Order: sequence, then structure tokens, then C-alpha cells
Amino acid sequence: MARPVVKKKYTLGERIYLLEILKGMALTWKHFVFNVKASFRPGPHTVPTCWQYPEDRTREISPVYRGLHMLCLDEKGREKCIACGTCAKTCPAHCITVKKGKRKEGEEDKYAGKMYCASFDIDLLHCIFCGLCQEACPKEAIVLGREFELAQYTREECHLDKQKLLANYRKAKEEGKLRPPRKAVPVVPAPPKPEVKGASSKATEVKKGQVEVKKATKKAKNAEKAKSGD
Amino acid sequence: MEGWVIAIIKVVFIWVWVLLIATVMTWVERRGAAMMQDRLGPNRAGPFGLFQPLADGIKLFTKEEVLPKKAHKVLWNLGPLLFALPAFSAYAVVPFGDKIILGGKEIILQVSDVNIGFLYVLAIGSLAVYGIVLGGWGSNNKFSILGGLRSTAQLISYEVPLGLALLAVVFVYGSFSLRDIALAQQGTFLGFLPNWGVFKQPLGFILYMVAIYAEANRVPFDLPEAESEIVAGYHTEYGSMELGLYLFGEYVNLVTLSTLVVVLYFGAWHIPYIDISKFLGPVSWGIVSFLILYLKVAFFLWLFVWVRWTIPRFRYDQVMGLGWKALIPLALFNLFITALFIQLSA
Ligand code: SF4
Ligand code: SF4
Repeated sequence: MARPVVKKKYTLGERIYLLEILKGMALTWKHFVFNVKASFRPGPHTVPTCWQYPEDRTREISPVYRGLHMLCLDEKGREKCIACGTCAKTCPAHCITVKKGKRKEGEEDKYAGKMYCASFDIDLLHCIFCGLCQEACPKEAIVLGREFELAQYTREECHLDKQKLLANYRKAKEEGKLRPPRKAVPVVPAPPKPEVKGASSKATEVKKGQVEVKKATKKAKNAEKAKSGD
Repeated sequence: MEGWVIAIIKVVFIWVWVLLIATVMTWVERRGAAMMQDRLGPNRAGPFGLFQPLADGIKLFTKEEVLPKKAHKVLWNLGPLLFALPAFSAYAVVPFGDKIILGGKEIILQVSDVNIGFLYVLAIGSLAVYGIVLGGWGSNNKFSILGGLRSTAQLISYEVPLGLALLAVVFVYGSFSLRDIALAQQGTFLGFLPNWGVFKQPLGFILYMVAIYAEANRVPFDLPEAESEIVAGYHTEYGSMELGLYLFGEYVNLVTLSTLVVVLYFGAWHIPYIDISKFLGPVSWGIVSFLILYLKVAFFLWLFVWVRWTIPRFRYDQVMGLGWKALIPLALFNLFITALFIQLSA
């Protein structure tokens, strides 16, 4: 949708341009003075819009930030993952590999479901941090945390296995950086089904009306044409 | 023999001094820009990031020099030299202080007081455009050629008002020597106004200010570079110290032009209403006059930075329109009024 261009009439002062430049310079000067004053404030976070990153880590990270992955445990400390493989299928970068194992007798306190993941690998070098795995997981087992310092020296360090994923969860829990639980989606009651007969007759009526309107406009257009032709 | 030694000392001194200012200017520009844009700017290298220009210099020196395959070898190498050399050599006739008496010998603080210093500055100043055009042409790159072309188009639209505005100054002071003009600005006229060029030539001063922004290729007339339109204009293909010469030449140009503004329009080393040279010894006056001059220059250098981060770039045709339709008629009008006034008051 193109917006119409409105040509403004400029006053003489604006056309000379120098006055306007001076006004602009007053504005930049205000910013300059403010920031110079601010940069002499004590503490690492001086200029309001700048975080001096490695020293100053006070910047808040959004709760929905998609950072490093983790495999979550439920409130009884059991692994939530049921090795359904949905995440691996959903992943657009094909970087998740899940191998399943069957829960044996006596392992109920370790795994929440009847199946569990024997191994769980994520190749971070392929991952695009889209968060689709997290969206797809039926058990909310895989979650993207808020850890964002992911640079490593070797490729191996960029490979997340199950132990690392669980460790990520424990670390996040210790630091209180766990994602707040998802809000339940409110269930919308299904709309009542309309009666079949009445609905169909109404629809045809509307159609008829439309056709008539079309005809009418055509007539009017023809008349206009004839007029302009004269 | 003694004259030679003094001249060489003066040359080396002013060369180092201008280089120093240009170096500091790169830092001022970047930090000033950051502060105006609510950022912090380079603050890691040394206290307040003051060593940043040094780090930049080391980086530029150690970079590999890359010659594009289809570039014109001679023109390519000539471009940066032709840009940087005039910038330095223009300072030969610009005074950097009054005079200093050492060992009973009077030394003028100016490399050489040529009686046509004015014309020399104008001629050398417009030579720098060759550096841009040849560099742009020699790179054999679309953006570079566009930058070079823009530079020529810009030259023909700002050089005329620049010359005309300066001519009016010559009318007023009756001399082509920059030192004579600087000396003539002492005292007051009409009883209360300082005898400065800006009060005698207010319109000429504005025209000159506009024109030097074009001559220095600075925003709002930085069309030859125009990093948001044509990558980096004439120096798109350059790297290592050849690029360094271009960037450095620009800052040296700024220093030269700012000094000229101060010498021509802002009373050089004079302070209005007081004649400090009476209270000071011959040596200390030399130093103080030098400092006063460069204090004023510092303001105009800062003005370059300030304006750069305030207003956007002019469009190509707007610059030409401004030059031909506004500046030249105004400059002619200014010249006419000045001539009339001088004729009537004579
Ligand atoms: S965030 Fe996206 S790319 Fe990364 S593992 Fe999950 S689904 Fe795959
Ligand atoms: S993390 Fe979730 S989606 Fe992936 S295998 Fe386990 S339960 Fe299934």
C-alpha cells in the first residue's frame, strides 16, 4: 500500500536551511552533553543505551529468549523425555538425534514415561535456535534456556549430548534461570452448529442480491460512458 | 645557511603538529559521533580509547596491499599520493602563529610568507580532487568511478563560490598574503566590533563555510564517499596504507581548512579588545599566539564533527543546484557590495 506523497510548502526560513541546521545542532549538542555527563558516572553501566558487555552483565534477558538447550526433569526429578522423536522430526536443521530405550522395572523414579531417551544429541553448529523442537515437544522436555555465551574453541564442545543437556538444566535451576511455565491456552467452546436448511436458503438469497447489484452498477457505468461519449 | 635550518625546523614542526592533530581528530570524531548518537565509541585501547588511532595505524600498515586485477597500476598508486600531498603542502603558506624572537632573530611562525599565498592555497586545494578522480578511475570499479565523477561535479559547483568569497576578503584587506591579512585583523572598527573578517564579511563567511564542507568532502557534501549509496565511493577498492593516506589526507585537509577559516575570518591569533602581545615577552608571545590560533582551530574542527552527525547528505543534483543557483549569485552579490562599499568609503 503506497502512501500518498504530500509535498510540504516550506517557509523561507526552512528553505534557507541554515536555521534548521542550527536547530538540529542544538539537538545533537543536547545528546552529546547528556552522554558525556553520563559516561562519567561511576559504575560499569553509564550511558543508558550501552551495556559494556563483558564487564557489565546487568542487562535483562527476555524470558522467552532462545538460548542453549536443556532437557528438563519433572518435579520428582525424573526425565520428562519419552523419546517420541517429534523434536528430531520437527527440527528444520536436522540436528537432533534421539535414541530410545525402554524403561525397566524399578526405574520409575528415573524416567517419567514408559520410554526414555537412551541418547540425545544436538549439533549446535547446525542448530538455528528456532525453538521449534521446544514447541513440538509433547512433554515440554526439551527447552531452550537463556544461556547465550555459546562460543567454543573446538567442534566437539559444540556437540550437546544427553549428559550436557541435563547438566544445562541443573545449572539453570541453580541459577534460577528456568523459564516460567507455559500459560495454559484457554479452551474456546466450539460454536453451535447452524441449522443446515435455513443457512443454505440464506446463502442463495445473498447471492441473488449480489448479482442484482452487479447488474445495476453495469447499467450505471454504461450510462456514464454514453454521457462522456456525447 | 641559518635560514635553511630554521625553515627545515619549521617544516618538520608543522608537519608533525598537523599529523598529531589529524590523529587526535580521528579519535575525537569517533567518540564525538558516539556521544551524539547515545553510544560510547571506541573506549578500550588505552585511557578513554585514546590509543585507538595508534591501533588503527598499526592495522593499516600491516594490512596486505591488494591491487585489483584490472586496475590501472599507475593511476591507482598515484591517487592516494595526489590526495594526501596537497593536503600537507597547503600548510606551507598558512601561518600558525605570530612571530617569535630567538637569540635576537625574528622568526615568523609560518613556513613561508609568500605574497600570493592566497592563490597558492586555492590552487593546491583544488589539486586534491585529482587524487579522488584518478583513484576512482584507476580502480576500475563502478562505485569508484561514480565517486570520482561526483567529486568533479561537486568541484565545479563549489570552487567558484569559494574563490569568489575569498576574493571579497582580498578586497577588504588589500593583500594576497595570509600573514598580512592575519595582522590586519587586530583592533576594532566602527568603535566596537573586532576587526575580524567575520564581521566585515558576514555573508562571505557563510558562503566560505558552506564551500569548505564541500571541499573537505564532509557531510552534508560527502557525495564522493557516500557510504550508504556507493559503498565507499572513490576508495572502495583501496586497502592498507593507501586507504590510510586517503583517510588521513581528509583529516589533514580539515585542519588546513579550519586554520584558513580562523586566519581569514576569525582574527588568527588576536583576541578581541585586548592586545596580549604587549604583556608578554617575545618568546612567550610566540607560543601563546600559536595556542590561541589552535584553540580557535579546535572549535572549527569540532564544528566539522558536530555538523557531520547532525544533518543528512545532500542529493547529487541538490549540491549542484545549491552551488550554481544559490552560492554563486550570493557570492557575486557579496563581491559587488564589498567593492561598492570600498569604493564609497575610499
Ligand atoms: S532450535 Fe530449531 S534448529 Fe535448534 S535443535 Fe531445536 S528445532 Fe532444531
Ligand atoms: S524431547 Fe520431547 S519431542 Fe523430543 S523425543 Fe523427548 S519427548 Fe519427544
